[in-house]
Amino acid sequence: MPDVAVIGIGMLPFGRHPERTVVDMGTEATLLALQDAGLPPARVGAGFFANALAGRLFGDMTIGQNVFGEAGINRIPVINVENACTSGSTAFYLAYNAVAAGQVEVALAAGAEKMCVPGFGLINSGENELETKLGLVTPASFALRAMRHMAEFGTTPAQLAAVSVKNRRHARHNPMAQFREPVTVEDVLTAPMIADPLTRLMCCPIADGAAAAILCSTASARRMQRAVQVKAAVLCSGSYENPQDLVRWETDYRVCRLAYEKAGVDPADLDLVECHDAFSIAEILHYEALGLCLPGEGGRLAAEGETALGGRIPVNTSGGLLSRGHPVAATGLAQVCEVITQLRGEAGQRQVAKAKIGLAHCAGGDKDGDTKSSTVLIFAV
Amino acid sequence: MVKEGTNRLSPVEEGLFTPPPYTESPPKLLGGYCRKCRQHYFPRPRHCRRCLDPVEGASLGSEGKLYSFTVIRTRPPLGLPQPYGVGYVDLEECGLRIFGLLDPGAVDRLRIGLPVRLAVAPLGHDARGERCLRPYFTPMEAD
Repeated sequence: MPDVAVIGIGMLPFGRHPERTVVDMGTEATLLALQDAGLPPARVGAGFFANALAGRLFGDMTIGQNVFGEAGINRIPVINVENACTSGSTAFYLAYNAVAAGQVEVALAAGAEKMCVPGFGLINSGENELETKLGLVTPASFALRAMRHMAEFGTTPAQLAAVSVKNRRHARHNPMAQFREPVTVEDVLTAPMIADPLTRLMCCPIADGAAAAILCSTASARRMQRAVQVKAAVLCSGSYENPQDLVRWETDYRVCRLAYEKAGVDPADLDLVECHDAFSIAEILHYEALGLCLPGEGGRLAAEGETALGGRIPVNTSGGLLSRGHPVAATGLAQVCEVITQLRGEAGQRQVAKAKIGLAHCAGGDKDGDTKSSTVLIFAV
Repeated sequence: MVKEGTNRLSPVEEGLFTPPPYTESPPKLLGGYCRKCRQHYFPRPRHCRRCLDPVEGASLGSEGKLYSFTVIRTRPPLGLPQPYGVGYVDLEECGLRIFGLLDPGAVDRLRIGLPVRLAVAPLGHDARGERCLRPYFTPMEAD
């Protein structure tokens, strides 16, 4: 099975882009990735395009052909992907599989989302699901985990706030992030309450944005100085067993363990992590599932600075979803862009010194107290 | 307490709870049970997820303990009150941990471990904007 490398990345600054369409943003990210790889569009053998919300918001469908067509990529297999918040990382997973299986020499994964429209409201996991009909909104599903984590492990609101403070501090040096001003623990704790104990500054904002990555076989990438190896690309759905433990999240632990096994690395080998901090409690839970600390110690890990730049294991050097905003289907690929930038040593003032191994973790969708989809990607130079 | 108008409104989804009136017996949650796998389900699926045999209907009781909760204070969906509470309840009879609404009148009394009981009342509207009946859990202790 061919080894796979990332040879090009591209993304737009996340934020409000009222004048731009999903197609327009997706095309720009794709062109940036092609340019970064130094490849003409004709070299792409398969394209995977992620979008989660444009069908519901704008009545769009099968957008990938429009995006890739605009970028001069045609005739090849194009697959449109929707997998909640992991839509972008799922497109990456599929592109990885296409190259690893030897089906194509070069594959493209791109994701674009437009969310900053009037009356967007709170996101849910599907209008027709019983939990949605009974009032479940995504912030609440993580607030429920936070309340339980606090009760079982003594995690404090100040520790939850520490995640937001750290990620905003990281975002200061990331021009791709929407919110780059620092915030204090007090700012976070006194922000309007969304769902107890999560205040607005513990919840990621919405955004418009797009991101893309180009993958090829390692053999083809050999002459490319800036290629980064993909050591593992793993996707899991939930077990949906009942009862679910909301703080020892079996699916999250499982996807992390599988990725470590596949990559042949341990948590201690990691130089940096991008994880799905859609809510500050989520980052704390992911620390624990990723084995960055013992179960229950995630709050302390954040508050003591171990996951800050300069700490033992920097997490979300990009500023994370909390600072970037979360254009649903672009997020997973924005995480890839950050890890690749770090491993290339091109992250400027937020560079992790001598970064050799990086991990991108993404999760999305609620079902039966579990996740609908969870992905872990591990990269190395 | 069953509020006026309960009998005339449609449930948010069929088959989740015993229908009103509740003058004779209080509302109970309805779900499914697979005899072979000794597995309860809520809501009732057509087939058991383990053995794929048909699942029979089963009462899941009406009492449980709050495993976790939150109060949603931002603009609510589906015409629900502001604020409103939701939680996971560990059901006494069958051991399922299920997601549900919590009594909007009791948001200040919620705590993990709180014994709760099922109630059914008009609460919010459905996707078409029609007022509807929703199940929710209310504290068993008096105020």
